[in-house]
Amino acid sequence: MTPTKRDISQVEGSQENKISTPKKTFRERRQEANEKENESGSDISDEEDEEEHTTHTSKKLSGSTAAYDIHVARETAELFQSNIFKLQIDELLEQVKLNDKHVLKVEKFLHKLYDLIQQVPDWEDKNLSDTLSYFKGKSVAIPFVDPKPAVSNTNYKFNYKAPEVSLIGSFALKTGIYQPQGSSIDVLLTMPKELFEKKDFLNLRCLHKRSVYLAYFTSHLSNLLVQEKIDEFLIVEYSYLHDNPLLPILTLKCQSNDEAEHELNFHKTKFSINLIIGFPYKIFEAKKLLPNKNCIRIAKEDNETPLPATSLYNYSILSSTAYEPYLKYLYKCKKQTEAFREASILGRLWLQQRGFSSKISQSGGLGGFGTFEFTTLMTVLLNGGGENGNKILLHGFSSYQLFKGVIKYLATMDLCTDGHLQFHSDITYTDAVSKYVQEGFQTPTIFDKSTKINILSKLSVSNYNLLKFYAKETLSMLNDVVQDHFAHIFLMNISRSDQLKYDLCYDFKFPMNGSIEADLVSKFTATERIKYITIENFVVHKVISVMKYALNERIINLEVQLVGHRSTFAINKRKPNVALTPGSQFNFDHIRVKLIVNQDEAEKLITKGPVHSEPTSHAAVLFKSFWGPKSSLRRFKDGSINHCCLWNTSSSEPVISSIVPFVIKRHISENINIENNVTKQFQELLPLPNLAASSKTSVLNMTSFFNLKKSFDNLYKIIFRMKLPLSAKSILPVDTSFRYTSLCQPVPFAYSNPKIFQNVILEFETSQKWPDEITSLEKAKTAFLLKINEQLEAEHGTQYHSFFSRDESIPFNLDVTTLNVLTPDGYGFKFRILTERDEVLYLRAISNARKEATPALENTFLQFTSTYLASIRHTRTIENISHSYQFYSPVVRLFKKWLDCHLLLGHLKDELVELIAMKPFTDHYPYSTPGSVENGFLKILKFIAQWNWKDEPLILDLVKPDAAYEDQMEVSIGGSEINSETMKKLSEKLTLAQYKAIQSNFRNLRKDDPNGIHLQFFVASRNDPSGILYSSNIPLAIATRLTALAKVAINLIQTHGLNSQTIDLLFAPGLKDYGFVVHLQVPNKLKASSGIITQSEFKNLANADAPLVFPTDLNDLSEKMDPTYQLMKYLNMKYKNTMIFSSHKYIGVNGGEDGNKNVITGLIKPIYKKQMKFKVNMDCNAKPIDSEHVALNKESIYHEIAAFSSDLIVKFDLE
Amino acid sequence: MSDTEKKVKKITTMKNGFVVIPFKLPSVKVLPSKHISYHYIYVKKHDSGNNNEQNCIFVMNLPLLTNVENIKNITGQICEKYDTVSHVEDLLYNDEFGLNEVDLSALTSDLMTDNQDMTEKRFTPRNTCLLKFVDKSSLNNCLNALKKYSTCSKNDIIEWKYNSPSIETFINFYKPINLEYLKEDVHSHLAIFEQREQQAQDDVQSSIVDEDGFTLVVGKNTKNLNSIRKKILNKNPLLKNESSGIKKPSTALDKKAKKDFYRFQVRERKKQEINQLLNKFKEDQERIKIMKEKRKFNPYKNSL
Repeated sequence: MTPTKRDISQVEGSQENKISTPKKTFRERRQEANEKENESGSDISDEEDEEEHTTHTSKKLSGSTAAYDIHVARETAELFQSNIFKLQIDELLEQVKLNDKHVLKVEKFLHKLYDLIQQVPDWEDKNLSDTLSYFKGKSVAIPFVDPKPAVSNTNYKFNYKAPEVSLIGSFALKTGIYQPQGSSIDVLLTMPKELFEKKDFLNLRCLHKRSVYLAYFTSHLSNLLVQEKIDEFLIVEYSYLHDNPLLPILTLKCQSNDEAEHELNFHKTKFSINLIIGFPYKIFEAKKLLPNKNCIRIAKEDNETPLPATSLYNYSILSSTAYEPYLKYLYKCKKQTEAFREASILGRLWLQQRGFSSKISQSGGLGGFGTFEFTTLMTVLLNGGGENGNKILLHGFSSYQLFKGVIKYLATMDLCTDGHLQFHSDITYTDAVSKYVQEGFQTPTIFDKSTKINILSKLSVSNYNLLKFYAKETLSMLNDVVQDHFAHIFLMNISRSDQLKYDLCYDFKFPMNGSIEADLVSKFTATERIKYITIENFVVHKVISVMKYALNERIINLEVQLVGHRSTFAINKRKPNVALTPGSQFNFDHIRVKLIVNQDEAEKLITKGPVHSEPTSHAAVLFKSFWGPKSSLRRFKDGSINHCCLWNTSSSEPVISSIVPFVIKRHISENINIENNVTKQFQELLPLPNLAASSKTSVLNMTSFFNLKKSFDNLYKIIFRMKLPLSAKSILPVDTSFRYTSLCQPVPFAYSNPKIFQNVILEFETSQKWPDEITSLEKAKTAFLLKINEQLEAEHGTQYHSFFSRDESIPFNLDVTTLNVLTPDGYGFKFRILTERDEVLYLRAISNARKEATPALENTFLQFTSTYLASIRHTRTIENISHSYQFYSPVVRLFKKWLDCHLLLGHLKDELVELIAMKPFTDHYPYSTPGSVENGFLKILKFIAQWNWKDEPLILDLVKPDAAYEDQMEVSIGGSEINSETMKKLSEKLTLAQYKAIQSNFRNLRKDDPNGIHLQFFVASRNDPSGILYSSNIPLAIATRLTALAKVAINLIQTHGLNSQTIDLLFAPGLKDYGFVVHLQVPNKLKASSGIITQSEFKNLANADAPLVFPTDLNDLSEKMDPTYQLMKYLNMKYKNTMIFSSHKYIGVNGGEDGNKNVITGLIKPIYKKQMKFKVNMDCNAKPIDSEHVALNKESIYHEIAAFSSDLIVKFDLE
Repeated sequence: MSDTEKKVKKITTMKNGFVVIPFKLPSVKVLPSKHISYHYIYVKKHDSGNNNEQNCIFVMNLPLLTNVENIKNITGQICEKYDTVSHVEDLLYNDEFGLNEVDLSALTSDLMTDNQDMTEKRFTPRNTCLLKFVDKSSLNNCLNALKKYSTCSKNDIIEWKYNSPSIETFINFYKPINLEYLKEDVHSHLAIFEQREQQAQDDVQSSIVDEDGFTLVVGKNTKNLNSIRKKILNKNPLLKNESSGIKKPSTALDKKAKKDFYRFQVRERKKQEINQLLNKFKEDQERIKIMKEKRKFNPYKNSL
């Protein structure tokens, strides 16, 4: 047998070959179990033959005929989501394959270990005091679980007799995979039956017996290791299996020793070995250990109330007896199901990437559902799982189908509130089918009727909800026929950063003085102790239930993590060292609570409680006692009177941030410090509008935008009613404030804001009479605007003021004039007219132009299209969908601020920025949609940092999230696959054809521009399938700088985390990277007149600078407008060929304390950095080098810039 | 720097005949003033058959915001230095900010172009212009003086004086356009346009009558001729990358024809389908290969 093919029987065989003496091998228990050793053996050889055969054929055929390929292609199209998906799965499995050499190496050690275990001598019955004295002075401590047995009342005996040794877990099942941090191998040592008595499951007796057993074993094993001289490189430690303090085990790891490597040293394989001590199967009466039974008896004052169920304890004992039956159960299924192994690896990866594990969730973290649970569920579903025991999965399914089936089951079936799944793990019981039963236990349940174990005992309700949440997300990714989500499902690890995975994180820190410990210890009574086992588990439970009750609808999910929790400890210690911080008695450093926010509910002012009634209902009592003084009675619009809590919104902190400290202090301990400075700092970075109560306004509040819209609606009505030669067909607002994306919120009369005049497109009824020449066309449009102006002045002159200005948005079209209207409410609108003639004229110009001028004219056309045509669609779409993505507005505004801080905003169109910022919302997989400002912002940065725009287009599906997606989702049981509603939903999304067309546009684009020199960001959506509309003309240096800045930002966060320093750094412009920096100062302070105040400022002081009306002479408006913008414009025009200039676009936001400072930075384009040939058309300010060559005359350019900005310049920094 | 200055000093004419005219730059407070900086203008006599461009010097790289007055002043100074006189008439095609690089109007219609002779479109590169003198002697005098000046010693180089815009200049861009002026401008422009349009229409209608007696009313930029329109629409840069094969207009006949009438049609279709499937499979394999090379399949890649 080949050593490379690792199948159970082969290991058996090889062991049998090598180990001549053993009474029992690792494998033997399986042989016993299977009862059909020979059969399975022949099965395996058959399989091998087959596999070999296929590989051969594929090789043979690949060159000559395509028949095999056709076969494969057809099959995969049927069995997998798509060909590419199947190929990707194959590659992935190849990647995570265990290294065969490593396996051999560690197997060698396992054999040795097996020998050593056999050498541990038997002991004889000892009572506790003898046992204790036996270990006195030894280097091994007994890892007793709490509370440790007292000599006085411990009558039972402790002993050690040789265990039955077997391999269990994924290594035994051959479903293990390579993991960079190393994989663990589970070796089960089953204690012999004779060590137990019938009642040992009570009061931790069997656990104590096991602890002594483990200690005795450890002590002898260490001695043997020393004898064999393999102790030098072997690290032997106690640890808790799955973090469960009731399950101490022994772990063996290797470290490298400098000298010649010992042949048994397997440190390179990174494996670790868990020696788990199990109880014999069915040693205790399982019925008595059901989850609802009490098995730890404590003395109580009143004997009326029954003792609480000790479900975790019961589970811990029962599961210790059942390692082998489950292995057999899974093994049998694996034999029957070809793709079992692959599917379980997919499941393992899926769980890992989301942070789930087999650890008990009772002590925090995302435990409770690991690979074992996944494979077991899969096996259960292969044996039934429907309401009538019908099979959910079939043995012939492909790995993809199996995986999807399990995910779908998790996503759509309720195993907690309304139902549970039951099955029989006993493989000898032939009629065993698994069934879904419509009876919920309010705890996630997959109940094994054979062993009486709920295999989801470790899974808390909140973790189950999270699991279900991710399963749903994954199911919709798997169902997405348009985009390939393979990487999102299996390759991306989303739990690397809490800030990306969760919307809000709070750290609960305990002060040094120990006051909290005392507080909590007093609450941790004996009843609590038998329920939760440890005080840490108790705290976790407490925090979760308090948070859930308090936040209720405001959050979708939460995770509570004990940071610094330890579960390994030295063998001379009884339990993990807990004194991390002085005064702390707990096995953790601090508690971290992580929330996924429900955008729609998070910022609600009122926590609505139960209806007020006489007499007070139970719910009302609970509500009142929970909230204490916060609770009050309120009457609602519909006349009902409810118990409520009223909260305040704030511009700097979400409502949740005021609820959390209140309830934690009230219900856990007064002295806990609740820290979350990140959210506050990010929210305070958003420019605060100079409006009434703005610091008390939530970031989600859009009133300032609505006011602007209201003002526009009034103006709209006036213009629509006007009598004009052609009647108005549509008046469409197309600017940022109408889609809630303007960096500064609209503030009345804040006319220093560069966006004070919001663009509006005016269209008239169709007419053939528009001039067929562009200048005249513009003049004709102006004539119309003059008419409007005249009427406006005549009829509403007292309220509305208007004037004309030149518009430069379309290059080379110097005749565009716009009508700027100031409304009595303090807003400004800029009207421009669109006719059906415009587009044709611009296109005609392209076709008539000489070749050199074509690119410039194409650019003109793009500018026209984006300003006049696409802007309408863009505004409508963004406005529409941002209603569903509550945090989009503040996130995109913060992103704009970041860009402007780094002097990039001036180079990027608002539309482009908005589309990029939309990516984490509409295309949020594998994360959830952002539910906080920092989460959305960081996701944008992460996306940009990882966007390889050279090879990847950004294709956005600008649709609302599937609102009622739960209802429409296909269910595992009943319901048709796709109902009509779903189809309708689908139709709003990009279709596969559209998506493909966009991709092909991108490929065609990259054919001519493979490195993205001319166009970097291909950003397409249904509105713009070309993908180039908003991103043409971005200098390459700027695009790469954006990517580089995002990368630096992400690296910074990755290495130093988020704190006030790193956030400050994120928003600090790196001026040193530019060729030169010109510091400018304008005479007027423009911050207050841009409508911005600082939180700390006194409003009345700020208002001195903030205008309250528009000046009567409209000429005076310009006094408070930004001259540096114009300077920049002309510098760019003059030097556009040789230099790239950047500056802050929003001087009121980024222009220092008073909004009167700006910088202009310059970069010389690379080709002008060296000498060049003197040519008439070289277009640069050059100095002669020799009679043929010139170089850029930098000094002269600096002088020109200095002269150009002479009134504004304060400092000129050269590199 | 002094080295390069010396080197620079020697170059008075470029190989292709341009004379290098240096100017000292005024010292500026905000800039380090360790050494003097220079600006260089390149000039050459301009030869052109165009009547309008007689007696001209071709000038490259004028300093910031130079206007006729500056030029008059500076040529005056240089000529005076070498005891000669020349009179500048105008500065042609000086488009420092590239505003008029493209004449959109002319590209959309020939109606409004003043120079009716469309073949003779003038194009000068950026950062260049023509300096026109009143007569030939002025031109020669000035050119000679410039040549002499270009070889003069370092101390004799004239200092350039920039026209610095004030804050007002920038702020004025925000000011409203004078309403009366705007009205007048629009009115007069549209009047001319209408007149010319009428004229053009009359011209067309009166002139082109073919032998069959039909009047051809199609001009170069006719509004509604499908072929022309299509040609123009093809120029849309947004459609540049669209694969052309995708949309094929289906005729009514196509729709009616049965696609599975003959056996061969069915067979063909099946064949096609299989081929498609296979091609896609092959494509996918290629893609995977590329992705594999890029190590796209590592689930443990270390990043946020």
